[in-house]
Amino acid sequence: MKIGALKETSLGERRVALTPDSAVQLQKLGYDCLVEKNSGLAAGFSDEQYKSVGVEIVGTPKKLTEACDVIVKVLPPSESELQELSSSKTLISLFYPGSNEALLLLAKSSESNVIAMDMVPRISRAQKMDVLSSMANISGYRAVIEAGNNFGRFFTGQMTAAGKVPPAKVLVVGAGVAGLAAIGTSTSLGAITYAFDVRPEVAEQVESMGAEFVFLDFKDEQVNDASTGGYASVSSPEFAAAQLDKFREIAPEMDIVITTALIPNREAPELWTADMVASMKPGSVIVDLAAEKGGNCKLTVIDERVVTDNGVIIIGYTDFPSRMAAQASSLYASNIRHMISDLTPGKDGVIVHDMEDDVIRGATIIHSGEITFPPPPPKVQAIAATHNERTPDKTPEEIRADEVAAFKKQTKNQIILLTVGGILLFLVGSYAPVSFMQHFIVFILSVFVGFQVIWNVSHSLHTPLMAVTNAISSIIILGAILQISSTSFLVVILAAISVFFAGINIFGGFLVTRRMLAMFQKS
Amino acid sequence: MEMGFTSAVYVLAAVLFILSLGGLSGQESAKRAVWYGIAGMALAVSATLFGPGNGLWWLSLVLIAAGGLVGYQLASKVAMTQMPELVAGMHALVGLAAVFVGFNTHFELVNIASMDLAAMKSLEGFSALLAKKSAVEINILRVETSLGIWIGAVTFTGSIIAYGKLAGKVTSTAFKLPGGHFLNAAAALLSILSAVWYLNSGEILSMIVLTFLALFIGYHLIMGIGGADMPVVVSMLNSYSGWAAAAIGFSLGNDVLIVVGALVGSSGAILSYIMCNAMNRSFVSVILGGFGGSSGPQMELHGEQVPIEADGVASVLNDADSIIIIPGYGMAVAQAQQSVSELARKLRAQGKNVRFAIHPVAGRLPGHMNVLLAEARVPYDIVMEMDEINADFSDTDVAIVIGSNDIVNPAAQDDPNSPIAGMPVLECWKAKHVFVSKRGQGTGYSGIENPLFFKENTRMLYGNAKESLDKLLPMID
Repeated sequence: MKIGALKETSLGERRVALTPDSAVQLQKLGYDCLVEKNSGLAAGFSDEQYKSVGVEIVGTPKKLTEACDVIVKVLPPSESELQELSSSKTLISLFYPGSNEALLLLAKSSESNVIAMDMVPRISRAQKMDVLSSMANISGYRAVIEAGNNFGRFFTGQMTAAGKVPPAKVLVVGAGVAGLAAIGTSTSLGAITYAFDVRPEVAEQVESMGAEFVFLDFKDEQVNDASTGGYASVSSPEFAAAQLDKFREIAPEMDIVITTALIPNREAPELWTADMVASMKPGSVIVDLAAEKGGNCKLTVIDERVVTDNGVIIIGYTDFPSRMAAQASSLYASNIRHMISDLTPGKDGVIVHDMEDDVIRGATIIHSGEITFPPPPPKVQAIAATHNERTPDKTPEEIRADEVAAFKKQTKNQIILLTVGGILLFLVGSYAPVSFMQHFIVFILSVFVGFQVIWNVSHSLHTPLMAVTNAISSIIILGAILQISSTSFLVVILAAISVFFAGINIFGGFLVTRRMLAMFQKS
Repeated sequence: MEMGFTSAVYVLAAVLFILSLGGLSGQESAKRAVWYGIAGMALAVSATLFGPGNGLWWLSLVLIAAGGLVGYQLASKVAMTQMPELVAGMHALVGLAAVFVGFNTHFELVNIASMDLAAMKSLEGFSALLAKKSAVEINILRVETSLGIWIGAVTFTGSIIAYGKLAGKVTSTAFKLPGGHFLNAAAALLSILSAVWYLNSGEILSMIVLTFLALFIGYHLIMGIGGADMPVVVSMLNSYSGWAAAAIGFSLGNDVLIVVGALVGSSGAILSYIMCNAMNRSFVSVILGGFGGSSGPQMELHGEQVPIEADGVASVLNDADSIIIIPGYGMAVAQAQQSVSELARKLRAQGKNVRFAIHPVAGRLPGHMNVLLAEARVPYDIVMEMDEINADFSDTDVAIVIGSNDIVNPAAQDDPNSPIAGMPVLECWKAKHVFVSKRGQGTGYSGIENPLFFKENTRMLYGNAKESLDKLLPMID
């Protein structure tokens, strides 16, 4: 079968759905690849590059659509592109069927199969074709870069000969894929990064990226992540108020704010109000990744960079992935390639549209002329349900109080142990003869020394420790040696056997320990 | 030579032994620590050999040399995977020696009692020491001796059974005679009675009865403990052999025996404690054998175990950046440590972050996995303890579980009715992909179902660990 990539027709869209690299992979699956003339030019892939890996260049979209069985592209198809489709052809692209009903009906009338890359279910098996994640990753990265481009200072704090430069403070709202990518980029540029999300369980991920999670003083339990397929859901009015209060408190300190809060199929929630913007320092930057859905900040103008009266720059671009067309194309193309590879179980260049498969079923919105959207819920849940409860960080006073309490408890325990031990020793001492007590003191001290010493032995050396203690426990040989000179024949025999056995143990034990320790080495 | 000189040497030896154990806190200082131990032992033995009142020193020397030869042969031939058996087996020797020395004390005592005053004067060495004792001291001596014999005998049979279980010569499942722990309790009670009998009469028969009771307890106690609890058992027996030496030290009035016995005893006790903590179980419940009672049915498992072939594993590994390998007893059984090491070496050569996660009770001996990996030349600085690495699984691409089961069982956290509920486990299921190398679909050593195998991101690589890895190795490029 033949796979062809159409050139994107929307203004400003630079991405392409097939790259030379992905074409090579698709050819391995048994497909022939075609691409419309100059498709990859804006993303930095010339027609020569395509030709050199055996991709056929086709002049017009009409010819390409006619020649191919599978048509891939990035953005949802235009009406004219849909009209070219005929039955038995498969279109793979972004589609947003939830908000593109007219387009969906039109596609249905063409009787082709349509796979919407934005409908791939969020289960781990499908991560490799999750376009939304791979594009969000780019948006997050690019949002920081755009912010840096508009921000007049360093990200990282510096002590230079000319004076001290404070580090930039970055707040990322919404710790989804884009948010996490923004956090990672921002921390690696050296900014002090804070992050917030309505799902407290992502705090761990945020902290693993090097940012500080902003906790709210709010008791109400949030909706569990798992029931909504890993996306955020609408929060209660009380929670929203608490959240805005927290933002209002920290807004004046922030130099860069990146908002990424989106709720599927809804307008973006307003999280950064006009008064927060007013309280920010001049020259601060807000990047609103939710601009397309109305923006997390109501002052955002879609696809524009605006400057407020107090000098705060608000960026409302929606084409971040397209601004990094080379990277975005290669990721998108490889998402497509993974999808096709799942559609080609035989690796023989023949599409098998298995509607029983969770991933394929979820992404298919039109199958043999029937609308199959919305899909049934996937059989496996995206994320196992968990109830991670995180308490807000303790205040220094509380930590101090805990330490004092622990110290007191330890002291109390030690005093009790010492008292009890002392009384027992005293009791033994008042009845036992002196000769016994001398040895007994030695014994108690040795046990004590043993306890002190052994706690420090590292875990990986426990086996050598056992071998060493085994070897030195053959000190019993001393007893046997002392007895071997006895006048009684029986005693001599038993003592001799003991000496022999202990001898085995001494040499065996130490030798084995040495063998083991000699093997431990650094890399 | 004077007695004072011997004591001075003993003090030196005791200090060396303490340094030897203390030196095991780090891999580098440990290499020196062994020499401290050897020097301490050499000093103590030679001071005793050539010390006052030792007639037959040449016989001792010959016997030590002979024993040393046997020990050398054993230790240099044994494979690292058989280390648990060897250590357990050698405990038996110490136990037996303690029993014999204890009996000798008794014979010597009887011997002296029958002598007249003139003959007593002519005695030297150990016998002379005994002859000087008062009536109270002789009673204490008898208590000490019977204690030494009793612990020694328990250690002896216990270690032999432990050896058998580890070597696979005795069934590793828990086995009890009808009556179970009542038999042990009864035997312990009878032991106390016969010790009292001995105290009052000084008869040899009471000692023999005591010994047989102790031998039975050692056998029955260890037979009742399942194979999965062997790390605790071995360190416990280690502790016993120390206490036996200390008890004999008391009866001989020899301080260096007491010191070393106490050191070994407390070391073994701490190790057992650490092992029990790692399994979140009380020491008593391990010793009494079997798992503690569970309060309800175990969680039902849904889904299926999805198998995978070596090429699938290879392609994921080639794409991964961070990999954590979790070895278990299955690696030791299949002798797969060399292949595991080779796998780690190849992956590291590609610049991937490869680390090993070791659970405290992985294997059959405390620190068993560390020794095997060290043997296969895995650098110890990429071998991590559970606490060091557990938080990193969520950032890890691939976790490879090789022959471990309970220590990666999520039921310990999720299922309050699981027999291992609350035991700290390695949270490998948080990694993006988990591969489990396992012989078959069974439940393994402890017989507990493992929900890890049914997880969405888990793939099962069935087969002998070494063969699976050897198949995998050429595909890593």
